[in-house]
Amino acid sequence: MKQGYLYTVVFVLVAAVLFTAILATAQTVLHPRIAANQANAEKAAILYVFGIAPDDFDLESLFEQYVSTTQVNGLEVYIYADQAGVKNYAVPFTGAGLWGSIHGYLAVSADLTEITGLEFTKQSETPGLGSRIDEVWYKEQFRGIKIADAVPVFADQSGTALVDAVTGATSSSNAVLQIVTETIEKRVSQLEVLLP
Amino acid sequence: MKTGKQLMLQNVIKDNQVVHQILGICSLLAVTNLMSNSLVMGLGLTFSTACSSFTISLIRRLIPNRIRMMIQVLIIASYVILFDIILQAFLPEVSRALGPYVGLIITNCIIMGRAEAYAQKNPPILALLDGLFAGLGYTLVLLLTALVREALGFGTIFGYNINLIGFETWTLMVMPPAAFFLTGTLIWIVNYAELTKHHKDLSSQQLGGGADHD
Repeated sequence: MKQGYLYTVVFVLVAAVLFTAILATAQTVLHPRIAANQANAEKAAILYVFGIAPDDFDLESLFEQYVSTTQVNGLEVYIYADQAGVKNYAVPFTGAGLWGSIHGYLAVSADLTEITGLEFTKQSETPGLGSRIDEVWYKEQFRGIKIADAVPVFADQSGTALVDAVTGATSSSNAVLQIVTETIEKRVSQLEVLLP
Repeated sequence: MKTGKQLMLQNVIKDNQVVHQILGICSLLAVTNLMSNSLVMGLGLTFSTACSSFTISLIRRLIPNRIRMMIQVLIIASYVILFDIILQAFLPEVSRALGPYVGLIITNCIIMGRAEAYAQKNPPILALLDGLFAGLGYTLVLLLTALVREALGFGTIFGYNINLIGFETWTLMVMPPAAFFLTGTLIWIVNYAELTKHHKDLSSQQLGGGADHD
């Protein structure tokens, strides 16, 4: 049989180049679509932290209508405003999870006293355990937490926890609390320049 | 040489990769809490197994024997990544829900198993059918498990509410251990049924044999 070393090496090279080329082509052709999907996912996340539930169809128009952006010390800030004025601010965050970094958005009320929403856009926590931080019941717990009570320990004055952790995912739950605390201390605090 | 119909019977029912060979259990435990995720996972595996079996069979005489497993993995990985890219482009929601599991199709033993056990020695069309039906057999078990888990755990089927009497949903069903219990039960039922049938066949053969002598 054709089993010489040269044949083997050439075969591996040809096979590797061929299959990589197929994948590279698929990736290049579909990249604009994937990028658009990712941009939409970011927009949907921002609308979610503002408490707006978009349908896929009016995501763009809702975003255009209500959300504007500004920069504070180089930090991208999203502003949710309607006729009555500014309702919420949202800032992006990145922090260390258990296995990789966790990305997302945190929204606060216009007077910066209350957390109004939390959403993750990218996380690589343990599937089925830590990744459950992405479930609605967990994220909804953060809406309406008074920042004065929350920072830095997420227990109110009576010592009762404000947020239930995910069972079996202590590290991921703690990581989220840590990230939210850091985001409030380092990023939300900078928004004070936006206060009237 | 087997026909397509025989392959179908064998791979979906008689020699189901999950129930009989206990392959693909890891992804089974992970994704079966929702019917929709299970369906996409099953289709992804079916696509990958069928295409990679076909390709491997097509070039089986060219592949140098001592590096055949490397080449098999290369081919399998290519199809899985292709499937992942297609999901990201056309079904971003599902892609997000399945997360890392799509990439993990590569490590699903069913694909490599079919490549080594069948595609390596049989012509392309049969290898394609073999992979296809092995994947469909896996999908069948996934959907059966997911049916029970989603119905009891969320009170829904494919996201549609079936919880008309308002029973308390069963949280354990949503978590991976439930799939473990359910699959174990399914394997037990299938094996028990086959054992019973086997015994019946044996005793009827003996009876038949006795009658011949008379």
